[in-house]
Amino acid sequence: MFSKIGLAISFSPTGKALVKESVRLQHVFNSRLVLIHIGERNSESEELLFNTIDEAGADRNNLEIIWGEGDPATAIIKAGKESGIDLLVAGALEKEKMLKFYFGSVARKIMREFPASSLILKSPSLEPVPFKKFFITADYSPRCEKTIRTAFQFALKENADEFTIIRDFYIPGLTAAIGENRTYDELSALIDQMKYEEEEKMRLFINELNLKGLEIKIVCVYGKEGWEDSNYARTNEADIFAVTGPEKRLKFLDRLFPHDIEYSLETLPANLLIIK
Amino acid sequence: MQLSAGQITTFLLSISIMLFLAKVLGEIFTKLKQPAIVGEIIAGILLGPTVFGMISPDIFQWLFPQHGVIKIALDSFTTIAVILLLLISGLDVDLSIVLSQGKKAISTSFMGLVVPFVLGFAVSYFFPQLMGIGEDGSKFVFALFMGTALSISALPVIAKTLMDLNIFKTRLGFIIIAAAMLNDLFGWLIFSIILGMMGTNTHGFTFEQTLFLTITFVLLVLSIGKKIINKIIPLIQTKISFPGGILNFILILGFLGAAFTEFIGIHAIFGAFIVGIAIGDSVHLKENTRQIIHQFVSNIFAPLFFVSIGLRVNFIANFDIVIVLTILVLAFAGKVIGCGFGAYWSGLNKNESLVVGFGMNSRGAMEIILGILALQAGLIHEEVFVGLVIMALFTSISSAPLMSYFLKEKDKTKFKHLLQERFVLFTNESEKENVITRLVEIAAKEVKIDKGVILKEVLLREKNLATGIANYLALPHAKIKIKEPFVAIAINKCGVNFDAADGLQCKIIILLLTPENNNEIQLQLLAEIAGRFKDKEEVEKLLLLQNPNEFCEALKQLS
Repeated sequence: MFSKIGLAISFSPTGKALVKESVRLQHVFNSRLVLIHIGERNSESEELLFNTIDEAGADRNNLEIIWGEGDPATAIIKAGKESGIDLLVAGALEKEKMLKFYFGSVARKIMREFPASSLILKSPSLEPVPFKKFFITADYSPRCEKTIRTAFQFALKENADEFTIIRDFYIPGLTAAIGENRTYDELSALIDQMKYEEEEKMRLFINELNLKGLEIKIVCVYGKEGWEDSNYARTNEADIFAVTGPEKRLKFLDRLFPHDIEYSLETLPANLLIIK
Repeated sequence: MQLSAGQITTFLLSISIMLFLAKVLGEIFTKLKQPAIVGEIIAGILLGPTVFGMISPDIFQWLFPQHGVIKIALDSFTTIAVILLLLISGLDVDLSIVLSQGKKAISTSFMGLVVPFVLGFAVSYFFPQLMGIGEDGSKFVFALFMGTALSISALPVIAKTLMDLNIFKTRLGFIIIAAAMLNDLFGWLIFSIILGMMGTNTHGFTFEQTLFLTITFVLLVLSIGKKIINKIIPLIQTKISFPGGILNFILILGFLGAAFTEFIGIHAIFGAFIVGIAIGDSVHLKENTRQIIHQFVSNIFAPLFFVSIGLRVNFIANFDIVIVLTILVLAFAGKVIGCGFGAYWSGLNKNESLVVGFGMNSRGAMEIILGILALQAGLIHEEVFVGLVIMALFTSISSAPLMSYFLKEKDKTKFKHLLQERFVLFTNESEKENVITRLVEIAAKEVKIDKGVILKEVLLREKNLATGIANYLALPHAKIKIKEPFVAIAINKCGVNFDAADGLQCKIIILLLTPENNNEIQLQLLAEIAGRFKDKEEVEKLLLLQNPNEFCEALKQLS
């Protein structure tokens, strides 16, 4: 499913762990591994990179290294595109600083603009283990169908214990709509009824996909779309939170008034798998 | 100046009467499935100079004096009421929905602002006599106001209409609500700027300074302010007594925002509205907090405000048929053409665009608030105000039936409309493949697609996962190259095994074909059909029926 995995690597403290995680994924998917490093290529930087690879126990002969220069995010995206990577792995700062939030950062730009799928590891480990708890946010669109199928195959390969589909929905203006004459209990009952209907619909949708080999749990949550699902994954300690990549390029306004994937990009709820 | 004991008594008595009559008439109109605001305004008309003032002028003057300290006290009360109304209106605005709805919501909202604004401005400026205005220097600002008044919409009424029509959770519902939210934001911004242009501020700011401060305020509150509020709300909700703490926090912020915008020379309501948006955007704001503050404002402050309108204006003496008709025609034309065209332009079909146009036409409470503020500021005279109130009520009441009329086309995809007796068969097959083949034969003739193609898809789906549901129902289905969904039904005398969850043999087999690449419609229909078969006893009664017509009618009655 992922034939070529790319790793965006810098000489950060998590570099070695990221290589180890990528090598593990390389074996899971039986794919080729490409390391992308942006920075000046000289004997010193080469030595540093090779040391990282060796310390991580990776086989230098079984991977490709791409050196790039310029703006890191742009160069990584360009290298990834040119080499045909279909899963880009990167490490991320768990939380973005206020200034970076408004003006962007390398990881953010990659997550938003990389044309293929990406996996952002929240805290890469020096002793990586398979991901066991998969949480997928989905609606009923064909793009989400692809996300569910891809995440399901991934979960099967990892021999996962849990595969949960989260359907979150929100109705703006609901309080105004039900008016001043209804009680909170009536509002709650109405939301519960809608949650039940959505859960049933999602069950039918999943049945149509004919996925076998792993029990699928369906959960429906009410609240701000994009935030409720990521919060559910966070509180249930998901290993992987899979989302469908945005259809359009996200802009400044999307960050100012976050919706859908933006909440996950702002604060990672788990390792984030963006399927495109 | 201090209120005497007698004045306090009168003040409290007048508030009690206003609240009582507003609630009674509000409830009556709610029972009649009309907005409560209609009853509340009628309560004001009954208590005001139009009726009560005519019948008993002395008692009217004693209870609701038009001058003096009681009048000031009542005005202060209604000022707080209108600030709170805009604060809760802001809480309902979710600008992220606008972004997620994208081009459709933006073009609907943009055209829904521009077309009514241009129409309102042009007619008021070039034909001021239609509005009872002379050719003096004030007609430019008046025309600007009329443009704004016609371009505003009423989110609460729109939301309620969408819920009544059960299209809240649909694509169309989201487009309408998102467009209304954007409309409101810009409508109030423009109105505030007009008030700024009138130079009503008493703190010496020039128009340019007011404009700069307004825009800076909006940007700061909706960026950094919004993030800070989002951090504080969970702390308050967990550390301070609920719901007192959070209500207190919302009101403090609302009043601070209102005070700031009043200080810079635009009306207090704008500050409350923007702060409301920032608070409402928080992911941590609980739904019951919204509900509590809505109840608090809608049951106490809103009725007082709407009754007070009737107390100020004589609706009979100030009724001018030319002004009322002009405003009504402009209101309908501006919104329906503007929003309808905006929606059509963004890719919706003609009927859907008309639904959006009539949906966005509701003006409700927002128009009345805008009108009363303009009346107080001397921007409009009482005849125009009466015209605006009538337009607000008429557009709100007419919105649902007009939307409903154009939604009929959309209803064609509902199961009960797909159900036709000529596609109902009584069979006696023992194998499920045979029943499916019989149904596919009917379908192939109707949808004009080769029988083999349909059969292959249906059996493939059946092979992947059997489609027996429960209570004798099986739902074989497939997505094929058709434009509209298709349903055919077999009532099979002997049961057939479709691996139903309850282990029962299936006797009612419904073939469902839906357009490919439309998961939503297939899911919607599957869920609707399965929902109708949840009562086993009712299904058993269906099985006793002998002819297709009776069967279809009985099936339509199942819910």
